[in-house]
Amino acid sequence: MHPAFSVLIFTVTSGAGYGLLAWLGAGQLLGYTQTYMEGQQVILGVIAMVLVSIGLVSSTLHLASPKNAWRSFSRFRTSWLSREAVFAIILYPVAALYGAAIFWQWSSIDILAGLSIILALITLFTTSMIYASLKTIRQWNTPMVPALFMAYALISGGLLFLAVSGFFGSLKPQLLAVVMGLIVITLALKLVYFFWQGKPQGATIQTATGFSQASVRLLDAGHSAPTFLNREFGYQVAADLLLRLRIVMTLVTFILPLGLVYWVFDGAGRVELLALAWSIMMAGLLLERWLFFAEARHVVRLYQGEQRT
Amino acid sequence: MSQSQDLPQFEDHSKQEHRYTTCYMCACRCGIKVTLENEKIRFIQGNQDHPVNKGVLCAKGNSAIMKQLSPAKLTQPLLRKPGTERGAGEFEPITWDAALEMLTARLANIRATDPKKLAYFTGRDQMQALTGLWASQFGTINWAAHGGFCSVNMAAAGLYTMGHSFWEFGDPDWERTKYFMMWGVAEDHASNPIKLGLKRIKERGAKFVAVNPVRTGYQAIADEWIAITPGTDGMLALSMVQVLLREGLVDDEFLIRYTNGPQLVINNPGKQGDGLLLRDAEGNPQVWDQHTNGMQSAFSSDVAPALLGEYEAPCGTPVRTAFSILMEKYMAPEYAPEAASKVCGVDAESIERIALEMAHVAFKETITIDTEWTDWAGRKQSQFIGRPVSMHAMRGISAHSNGFQTCRAIHLLQVVLGTIDCPGGHLAKPPFPKHIVPPIKPAKSNVPNTPLESAPLGFPTQPEDLVIDENGKPMRIDKAYSWDAPIANHGLMHMVISNAVAGDPYPIDTLMLFMANMAWNSSMNTAQTMDMLRAKDENGDYKIPFIVTCDAFHSETVNFSDLVLPDTTFLERYDTISMLDRPISEVDAACDSIRQPILALDRDVRSWQEVMVDLAGRLKFPAFVNDEGQPKFEGYEDFIVNFERAPGIGFLAGWRGKDGEKSLRGEPNPNQWKAYIDNQCFFKFELKPNQRYMRHANRDYMELAKEAGWVGSTDQIVIELYSETLQKFRLAGQGLYDGPQPTEEHHKERLKTYFDPLPFYYPPLEQERTDAKEYPFYAVTQRPMFMYHSWDSQNSWLRQIMSQNYLYMHRSKGEALGIKDFGWVWVESHNGRIRAQVKLMEGVNPETVWTWNAIAKQQGTWGLSDDANESQQGFLMNHLINELLPGEVEAGGHRMTNSDPITGQAAWYDLRVKITPVSDDDKDLTGQKLSWPRFDKVKPLPNFTPATKMSSYSSHPNINISRGWRDIFSRGEK
Amino acid sequence: MKLGLVVDLDTCVGCHACATACKQWNTSGTIGPLSDERPYGKDPSGSWLNRIHSYEVGDSPHSKTVNIPMSCMHCETADCVTVCPTGASYKREEDGIVLIDQDKCMGCNLCSWACPYGARELDPDSGTMKKCTLCVDRIYDEQLPESERQPACVLTCPTSSRVFGDFDDPDSEVSKLTRERAGQQLMPELGYNPVNTYLPPRIPKQQDSIVVSPMQGVKQLVNRIINR
Repeated sequence: MHPAFSVLIFTVTSGAGYGLLAWLGAGQLLGYTQTYMEGQQVILGVIAMVLVSIGLVSSTLHLASPKNAWRSFSRFRTSWLSREAVFAIILYPVAALYGAAIFWQWSSIDILAGLSIILALITLFTTSMIYASLKTIRQWNTPMVPALFMAYALISGGLLFLAVSGFFGSLKPQLLAVVMGLIVITLALKLVYFFWQGKPQGATIQTATGFSQASVRLLDAGHSAPTFLNREFGYQVAADLLLRLRIVMTLVTFILPLGLVYWVFDGAGRVELLALAWSIMMAGLLLERWLFFAEARHVVRLYQGEQRT
Repeated sequence: MSQSQDLPQFEDHSKQEHRYTTCYMCACRCGIKVTLENEKIRFIQGNQDHPVNKGVLCAKGNSAIMKQLSPAKLTQPLLRKPGTERGAGEFEPITWDAALEMLTARLANIRATDPKKLAYFTGRDQMQALTGLWASQFGTINWAAHGGFCSVNMAAAGLYTMGHSFWEFGDPDWERTKYFMMWGVAEDHASNPIKLGLKRIKERGAKFVAVNPVRTGYQAIADEWIAITPGTDGMLALSMVQVLLREGLVDDEFLIRYTNGPQLVINNPGKQGDGLLLRDAEGNPQVWDQHTNGMQSAFSSDVAPALLGEYEAPCGTPVRTAFSILMEKYMAPEYAPEAASKVCGVDAESIERIALEMAHVAFKETITIDTEWTDWAGRKQSQFIGRPVSMHAMRGISAHSNGFQTCRAIHLLQVVLGTIDCPGGHLAKPPFPKHIVPPIKPAKSNVPNTPLESAPLGFPTQPEDLVIDENGKPMRIDKAYSWDAPIANHGLMHMVISNAVAGDPYPIDTLMLFMANMAWNSSMNTAQTMDMLRAKDENGDYKIPFIVTCDAFHSETVNFSDLVLPDTTFLERYDTISMLDRPISEVDAACDSIRQPILALDRDVRSWQEVMVDLAGRLKFPAFVNDEGQPKFEGYEDFIVNFERAPGIGFLAGWRGKDGEKSLRGEPNPNQWKAYIDNQCFFKFELKPNQRYMRHANRDYMELAKEAGWVGSTDQIVIELYSETLQKFRLAGQGLYDGPQPTEEHHKERLKTYFDPLPFYYPPLEQERTDAKEYPFYAVTQRPMFMYHSWDSQNSWLRQIMSQNYLYMHRSKGEALGIKDFGWVWVESHNGRIRAQVKLMEGVNPETVWTWNAIAKQQGTWGLSDDANESQQGFLMNHLINELLPGEVEAGGHRMTNSDPITGQAAWYDLRVKITPVSDDDKDLTGQKLSWPRFDKVKPLPNFTPATKMSSYSSHPNINISRGWRDIFSRGEK
Repeated sequence: MKLGLVVDLDTCVGCHACATACKQWNTSGTIGPLSDERPYGKDPSGSWLNRIHSYEVGDSPHSKTVNIPMSCMHCETADCVTVCPTGASYKREEDGIVLIDQDKCMGCNLCSWACPYGARELDPDSGTMKKCTLCVDRIYDEQLPESERQPACVLTCPTSSRVFGDFDDPDSEVSKLTRERAGQQLMPELGYNPVNTYLPPRIPKQQDSIVVSPMQGVKQLVNRIINR
């Protein structure tokens, strides 16, 4: 699949935003933000919603007819994209109320915190299901995709939560441990995903053409220049480059941030390193998302001559 | 579908208008129905009532809107800017009046001095009857159309064997045939009619065998694909003939009644008259009558001729039947399947099996149609007997230098099986069959201000008919009908430029080209041809002093013209598709058709038909002026209505007679055009059931044909398995002919070798002169179906399907040479080299490489942008082919034409090449993947408007179907 | 009704007539125009609703060339419809035709991602998704002669390799052809349940031949008494 930059930005930044919001809300419910100043909490919330908003604005950039974007709320009943739009929009007033509740110490703060967490997670889930629901792309059509999307959001949001907390001097070592644990779990899940993705399965050029008893090779695609379908689905990266990028991505997204967080946890590193760790992780996640698209092989490619997806 | 609830009215039919006309993007000439609105084309569809296409339409026809909108359309007459070089692309607009005056003055001078100094050659011409008449009235013998480089071998072999042929001349009986064999048909010739036919035979469960080195197009759906080695089809056909002869599986009744097989041939080797037919005092060929045990006229009805045997003529001359010679020839070991297999790459078992399968169909699955008919002798016959085996062959057979004899070999196979013009067999299409051969001799006069004594092209039957001077030298600029190519029925268009520039046989003054892209894909040796068009003599004058091009589009040839006369598109003109020309008849009906303007002209162009008639009047051609010397016709329409070739016979056969009540023959009808337009622009005259088969010997048919002027007499058309015509030329080569004989050794050799009165296989000439080890691959081309025979690769829809061609080669060969899919290679022949991109495939004869022809364009032409794929990656195979044979220089110091030695057919497919991968450090490739050779960019013509970056055509704003909110909100998942 | 097409792979010669007929009709049709980018330039590319792919099945020398025209299959489980957020993409209840309301599409491409058959192409000019409409603007147009109330591709196909009809009607030609010639869906394992079916190439026709004995040698043709 063609990795549209706007979509990479959208999923990575809004993911971090929703993750951050979830961490903030969880802090309210689990009590680890009780010692935080209201201002600090509000700033965390604002950062979260800014990230979410950057993501959402970015997502509209890949629309060819953005004038109709408002219509995307209408097919909530079946479309994960529509659901995402709806939940993303609902979250705004809820998050605003949550912010007000923090500021004015409303008694309903726990409910609003809980609602924010739920909406953030649901929105994340709906985003991930846009991809995971597509039977045409076997690399995406797995429950691991929503799990990973949520996990990325939680580790990138969590790390940002820690970095901001560190900035305000309210860092809790237990939270560092929790985030490190989550990074390890996410990495493990990603490795399982890579392993699963590598197994040959799914449709082949034989099932695509209906000739199951013999070799099938494309002789002529019916057009000599690339079409919309080639540009959208024919994205091709050399296998050895993909492998190298996977290693880089694993280092940048998981290993380096993990090391930095551990350094801070260990007491040796300064808390400012957490901001560095977060930035590195975000870069890694952009690469991860690029790979997520670049390695996704749509079944239409079978008709363009690929032997299997 | 009947229900139309809730749907909007999509089309405003009240604003739409339907008009019929005839397509002109290949030679099929399908009937089309055009829907117009807002002065734009809404839709072009096949005319369901039309005999040719029965409602269907090909990819080109469906893209005609884009042809009409092409930015490459010429918009005004152009003159090469004085003082600029030819080919530099500097033109200035000129008015039609000035252009025609200038041309008239030039042509009048040529006509008054030496008419043959005008060479007038036409390309994809569909009005050869008019252009030929024009040339004839002008008085120049130097006229021909593109048949000489297309398919003259097919046409000539058929006409010299059975009076009809394939394609326009005849078709398989699609409704009844049970076994169909297709030879060398490269996705084309014909288009829709063949497709309609293939569907019919598959529907009916008939077997379809395809013989072709490449398995694309029609071959894709064949039941059996024979991956033959190019140029060896004659061997395959004759080996099957041997199998049939060996097993006695021949239709001897057919051979005796309808062919010259039983006719007696003089067997007097080394003596004058050897190989000629034994004739009586009246000139009738003789047969051995088994009733009387004596010689009888071959034309008498009450004889029982012996098919085999050696006899002695009353004068003591030894004779034998033609069929005896044939038996002896084809039973020779060289035609045994095992031996043939080594030549044509088809295994012996398959050769044997296919021959026996056909025999089974012909003799064990015979069909009959119970219709009473009258045979040539006036005898009533109660039924037609059908041997339902049929064949079709085209350019893969014709475009070899052995194509004439190969095509004859295929006809021989058809004839011994008795499958000619019988139910289920190969059927002629009116006005065919003709007598063998039509009694038209090629003109050889060159008298100032005087029309030719006959048509420029005709049918020689003896050396006396050659168009040579008293020294035996060619009189025509293309050397047609000379010892180089004695039976060059369609001329040798591919030799014109080369010969004119060499002044061999003489220099010319003006070259007039219509719709022929001789500076690009229609010439062999393209780069050198461009040089020839620019070549100057020692005085600095162009060797071809004046070049006039008529075309509708900015082709590569336009760039090399001195005067450009812009043509209309086919949707903007009146035109006739005449039976005097290349007919569009069906097997059971005589048909012709017209074109009418569908769109108004939006630029200063004129149809070439109009210009021809106009020039004819200005030049005062006798047939075009009245007694006062004033132009007789108001224009093309008037000419078509009133011109009569013979009393009652004109260009159009329908609605003749004063009131349009007569068909085929009748006095001019002033309202004839209207009658055609009122009848969907075509005329169809159905043959009666008793006129539909065995027409070569069917008096019911022949009487009609004579009345219609299709044949000169009702005599039986005797199929000539044995060609006495060829034998006469061979005798001339042997020095045994009582008439003109060649003086040069190589001519004698050619006549002796190739003018065999019976078809035989010989390796194509270029291949014989090329080192097979050095050049291991055969190289051929074909055009894709969606651009077949067309003038349209600039079409913005069709070029999306293909704007770049590849060199296709067998996967195993590519891998052995280290060539990957989409890798670049050098392709090299004796004539030069080209750089091309490769695709590997399975379905190709492993020794053969091929490509789609005429995809490549020169940068700057055809309205394409400078970076268009056609000029950057597309390539022509033409660069590798020379119009002259490689190697030996013949006696007289000249190289021989790369053509069939009998007909002069251009031998496009005789090419051999070697292939080497382009190395990455190849300097010419310089990072960009480009084909080679590269050419200078052609300059834009005056007032050229480049195309926009986006095109969104529609004839009306779309009427969208609006989905209601209720539906959007209420529908759940299914 | 369940309208759709049967495509006969036994007779499709890959001529592209259906593709250009489709382009021609629909560029002025209900979802038109179908735009073309760089129509006379490098890598020309426009939106088409029907494209023909050619394949080689089997290895040399037993390979067979097969041409497969591809357009919208009007799937029964049309995920392209399910995923559409705006409601522009829908499947008509009355006849099963999958359509795109051009005024509502926001050009997010998601429906094309959901389509396994490459049936949806974004128009480079309008920015809306285009796809086969089964010529809904022809088949119901009662002002057209009845014989012409067919999709443009079906009308033009020179080998009649395309048949249009109602798969719900067991007596329709499409149902009969699918039944009798084992018409199959492409990529059925994805579960989209495409309506269009493809008729596989027939088993090559076996032709009887005259049996000859290899030992017989040359059979001498003999003269028979046959009157001319």
